[in-house]
Amino acid sequence: MTTIREKGYHHWDGQFKENFRPSWPIMRAGIKLAFQRKKFKPLFAASFIPAFAYAAGIYISERLEDFKSMGSGLEKFLQINPAFFKSYLTLDFTYFMILLLMSVGGAGLIADDFRHKAIQLYFARPLEKKDYLLGKAGVVAFFVGCLTLLPALILFILKLLFSGSFRLLVEYPWLILSIILFSALVMLFFTAFVLLCSSLTNNRNQAIALMFSLYFLSSILSGVLFLIFRSPYALLLSLKVNLDQVAAGFFLVKPSHDLPWYLSFLVLLAFAAFSYFLVRKKVRSVEVIK
Amino acid sequence: MTAVIEARNLSRWYGNVLGISEVTLDIEPGITALLGPNGAGKSTFMKIVTGQLKPNIGQVRIFGQKVWNNREIFWRLGFCPEVDSFYEGLNGLEFLTGLLGLYGFSAPEIQSRAWRALELVELKEVARRPIKSYSRGMRQRIKIAQALAHDPEVLVLDEPLSGLDPLSKRRIIKLIKELRNAGKTIVVSSHVLPEVEAMTSEIVLIHQGKILARGDLHFIRELLDQHPHMIRIKSPHYRELARQLATEDYILNITFEPENSAVTFETHQRDRFFDRLNQLVLESDCRIEEITSPDDNLQAVFDYLVGK
Repeated sequence: MTTIREKGYHHWDGQFKENFRPSWPIMRAGIKLAFQRKKFKPLFAASFIPAFAYAAGIYISERLEDFKSMGSGLEKFLQINPAFFKSYLTLDFTYFMILLLMSVGGAGLIADDFRHKAIQLYFARPLEKKDYLLGKAGVVAFFVGCLTLLPALILFILKLLFSGSFRLLVEYPWLILSIILFSALVMLFFTAFVLLCSSLTNNRNQAIALMFSLYFLSSILSGVLFLIFRSPYALLLSLKVNLDQVAAGFFLVKPSHDLPWYLSFLVLLAFAAFSYFLVRKKVRSVEVIK
Repeated sequence: MTAVIEARNLSRWYGNVLGISEVTLDIEPGITALLGPNGAGKSTFMKIVTGQLKPNIGQVRIFGQKVWNNREIFWRLGFCPEVDSFYEGLNGLEFLTGLLGLYGFSAPEIQSRAWRALELVELKEVARRPIKSYSRGMRQRIKIAQALAHDPEVLVLDEPLSGLDPLSKRRIIKLIKELRNAGKTIVVSSHVLPEVEAMTSEIVLIHQGKILARGDLHFIRELLDQHPHMIRIKSPHYRELARQLATEDYILNITFEPENSAVTFETHQRDRFFDRLNQLVLESDCRIEEITSPDDNLQAVFDYLVGK
């Protein structure tokens, strides 16, 4: 074989940034892209309607005398206690808005990468699979956190400010922890759920259909099974019921169904673990071009 | 010269389908072309070299470091995939800056590297145009830009000339040669011999997952010259041409296609054949509509090499 040239390349003398996590730019890009999508901003703004309503509730609860004209029974209705925060964090409207927001800004997180064959570009960079998944998960967690954890904490602070005392904190010292832990669980669940749906197809519309159908069909199916078998355990199939049950457990309120809340907790954790396993497998499988 | 890429006994299967088998190869600085028909195993080899696929057997090292599960190596490695892999709604600049962000460069560094890469591939003027409006050649160049924007020492380009018009091909070949002159180690794959000829003389012939031959182009040519070349000429005077050329001792066989007004010659000595053909055209005023080489493709080369 002929020697055709001299060694002319130069050695790379840069420094590898050990502390840098490539998941951050992926997350930032995902959030930025979501806000660039049509209709995302108004939807995002509309998602905060319950937060404002609850904030107004807290304000009124501290000025009951001024709002007597609104009718009697307000006092009972506006008790600011763990049940109040549980009710905020399990609102059907909020969960529906999360699904709606994620249908615009989250369904394509992995599906679009599949469709545009971008996975191979990601993995030809100093990036591990966990960085990729963390980056994508961060996008969903950010938006879910914006609609759950952030407003719930603000509501808690508002209550302290409006009441001018730390009574809530003294009466329920564990409440802030419950808010954080339950919000974290909601974030974990929706992150796993959205990424699972997004990784099962390379078409974002199919991912959207999957998100809505899985979420609502789980409730319908569990309802039908409950009617047939009359067993509350059938309700463990419903994603929404499980979230409600766990919330009841976390906020120490009576659960809506005759089921131990920890079973629902285990179902949600198992769902998240299963989703992680599947998403990881799906992302790996596209690297193999046959 | 030290090998930059060292592949040892690489084998990879997809179920029962063989991707590559026992490939051992040292690649040195400069341009090395992987030449093989579609499905030969070129892309599999490249995916293993770029750490996207784990070989079932064997190992590949770049600068002495293993590739699989080694994040660090990707600072020194750039990969341009065969298929288009970009978000078409993004513009060229956004595409590059987004990918450069994954290296952890600062924002000004990202911008400067992106613009430098765009300049190198001559896409500065269209940097802010959506990729969906790019021509095939521009898309190919932006793909190359993403591979070299972080200034890697090793570039792996999978079919960089595929589907391009001659002008775009020339531009990319020029760019690849410039990168070679800048000291990079470049691995390109192709299934078209003339494309490879224009880039390098260092060729690795790969077929059915195995390396058939490795060497410079003359070596391949010599192999080829042991087999007759087929030259098909379409002309209204095809019988006259055949009559004149039939007397030449290097003509081995002549086949007529009256329905197409064409004749196919088989010869051992292509250069002498074309010299004589030029002479005939000038002397006898024969009009030629088309000259093609039915076996001047890589599949034919491989057929010869594997003795089909």
